Amino acid sequence: MGALSLKNLTIHYGRQPVVADFDLDIRDGEMVSLLGPSGAGKTTILKVVAGLLAPTRGAILIDGQAVTDLPPEKRDAVMIFQKPLLFPFMNVQQNIAFGLKMRGDSGDRRARAVAHILALTRLDGLGRRKVHELSGGQQQRVALARALVLEPAILLMDEPLSNLDANLRQEMRELILGIQSELGITTLFVTHDQAEALMMSQRVALLLEGRLRQVGSPRELYHRPADPDVARFFGGDNFIQGRMRDGVFETDFGPFPVEAVSGNGHRRTATIRPEDIQLVTDTGDQPDHLPGTVKRTRFEGMATRAWVSCPSGELVVLTPRSGLSAGQAVQLRLPPEKIRIFPD
Amino acid sequence: MADPDAGRDARTRRAAGRGSLAVMLLPALMAVVGLFGGGLFLGILQGLGHLPGAGLSRLSATHFSRVWSDPDFLTSFGLTLYIAAVSTLVAAVISVVAALALSRLVNRYRAVHFVFQVPLTVPHLVIAVAVLFMISPAGLLARVAAAAGLIQAPADFPLLVNDRWSIGIILTYVWKEIPFITLMLLAVLQNAGRELLDVGRTLKADAWQRFRHIVLPTIFPALGAASLIVFAYTFGAFEVPYLLGRTYPMTLPVWAYKHYSDIDLLARPEGIATGILIAGMVAAAVVTAQALTRAARKKGIVL
Ligand SMILES: Nc1ncnc2c1ncn2[C@@H]1O[C@H](COP(=O)(O)OP(=O)(O)O)[C@@H](O)[C@H]1O
Ligand SMILES: [Mg+2]
Repeated sequence: MGALSLKNLTIHYGRQPVVADFDLDIRDGEMVSLLGPSGAGKTTILKVVAGLLAPTRGAILIDGQAVTDLPPEKRDAVMIFQKPLLFPFMNVQQNIAFGLKMRGDSGDRRARAVAHILALTRLDGLGRRKVHELSGGQQQRVALARALVLEPAILLMDEPLSNLDANLRQEMRELILGIQSELGITTLFVTHDQAEALMMSQRVALLLEGRLRQVGSPRELYHRPADPDVARFFGGDNFIQGRMRDGVFETDFGPFPVEAVSGNGHRRTATIRPEDIQLVTDTGDQPDHLPGTVKRTRFEGMATRAWVSCPSGELVVLTPRSGLSAGQAVQLRLPPEKIRIFPD
Repeated sequence: MADPDAGRDARTRRAAGRGSLAVMLLPALMAVVGLFGGGLFLGILQGLGHLPGAGLSRLSATHFSRVWSDPDFLTSFGLTLYIAAVSTLVAAVISVVAALALSRLVNRYRAVHFVFQVPLTVPHLVIAVAVLFMISPAGLLARVAAAAGLIQAPADFPLLVNDRWSIGIILTYVWKEIPFITLMLLAVLQNAGRELLDVGRTLKADAWQRFRHIVLPTIFPALGAASLIVFAYTFGAFEVPYLLGRTYPMTLPVWAYKHYSDIDLLARPEGIATGILIAGMVAAAVVTAQALTRAARKKGIVL
């Protein structure tokens, strides 16, 4: 049982600042994804929470108790690393029982706990295997079991699936989700994969270059990005400049009525997701449609991505329509309700 | 999958690779087998008493059995074993401590590696002379101690060379072998050790438990292999005990040399037989070291 609270964490490697003013609260039993590109500082934050690194400033609280100055072995948090990092000189059950043994649990208790966790992580029958005889997925499950068996208040996972192949990854996601909700263990799940972050948790925290840029539900981050960088990270390619005037956002692509009237007369930036732009190929002139020419296309399976040149600029469109070709004349509609105007 | 030839193709190529490797190694292999194997063969022959120059030509194992039952041989054997074992043990213990202390530094200061690589290139003989120069009764330490008033005269300095406990020999070996073992251990600690230690910490192992349950098992194969190699070397080495040892008892290699170079040609087979026994010990140690290394590799502990 544990709520995790990270307050104002600032972290340096030597004199190099890596993470600045990081704040995050995770409720007891909640799983939050910490999402960010490689090098953003995700692993660094996990190591600080685990106690393997000390922050320059800030505090870590578990259930309201500051643990910032406690060494990792005194913190009720366990970390799972990107690589399984199993002990090669121990078999599977010895690996899993390691933490229990260090804690001084009796052999009986260890055996019972290990048997239970082997079943939970679908490793039954593999207890006596040597670790180098296991597949990558099995090894990562042993690493998971080795952490879970300690029943820590906080579970920290650092891209545990990034070394697995795609099919296995999906299976492991389901397994982790199932176990996490069954045990109700407070979890900070790190990933660089936006789709993974969105499907793994009710809340996602986006980290860019050591700074927390937005925390919210997957839908919020996806459809209501806080700023252009967040939008760009989630594949938003279309940015439109304009000016607010009397409840209308005036742009080169046309006027868009907006609900909340704010910042009258101010310049603003807006975005619209490629899949939210409607593309039609019949050329009859319609009042709210923009004429354009297809520059190039790319087939992406479920949809085709098209770069469309309009008189007022280029827009990227993701359309289920097939048979588009370069040079083709098309019309685009930008539904006003899909336009996201960034606050100043 | 679609190409039924794919598997055979790969196999053929691998076989070809192995074949050409053998061809490339052949000259070196012939030199090693010819020189070493030929020498060993002649040695065994002479050890069995085939020494036409001395009028001996009947082959028998008597020289081996005479060597075995010679009390002087057993004394020498004991002394050699003592020196090799103590040197190896002391060097191993110090190396473990040194490697642990250095593993943090090495990342920051590449010079640490260099400092440890230099002694590897210094011949044992040079170290032996240096030790002689430092700690013999006429050596530097004795004079400094006398000048500082710690002892009355340099001659009062405790006897550390040509001494009963072979301190000088052991010091030489320890000084020389610590860098070797330490570098072997550092390599392992750098590879796997540090990450596994982080895992151990988050799994609530305290400092002693991490040493006992993670560091020791991680370095054990490398430590064992390095120690066995050192043991084999010190067991079979001649120059250091020849220079720093007492006239009696002598170590086995010195004993073998003395017999072999005796003006009495009849002593020669016993010298050879001793040499072969030494070679057997060394070979056993090396084979065990190899087996340890292979077992460790199989488990995924990088060496
Ligand atoms: N031990 C280290 N020493 C110096 N810089 C480091 C160290 N580890 C990571 N960094 C740097 O800190 C930044 C964040 O790294 P990291 O937390 O590993 O990112 P992520 O896990 O998000 O990919 C990167 O720029 C990385 O180069
Ligand atoms: Mg990382």
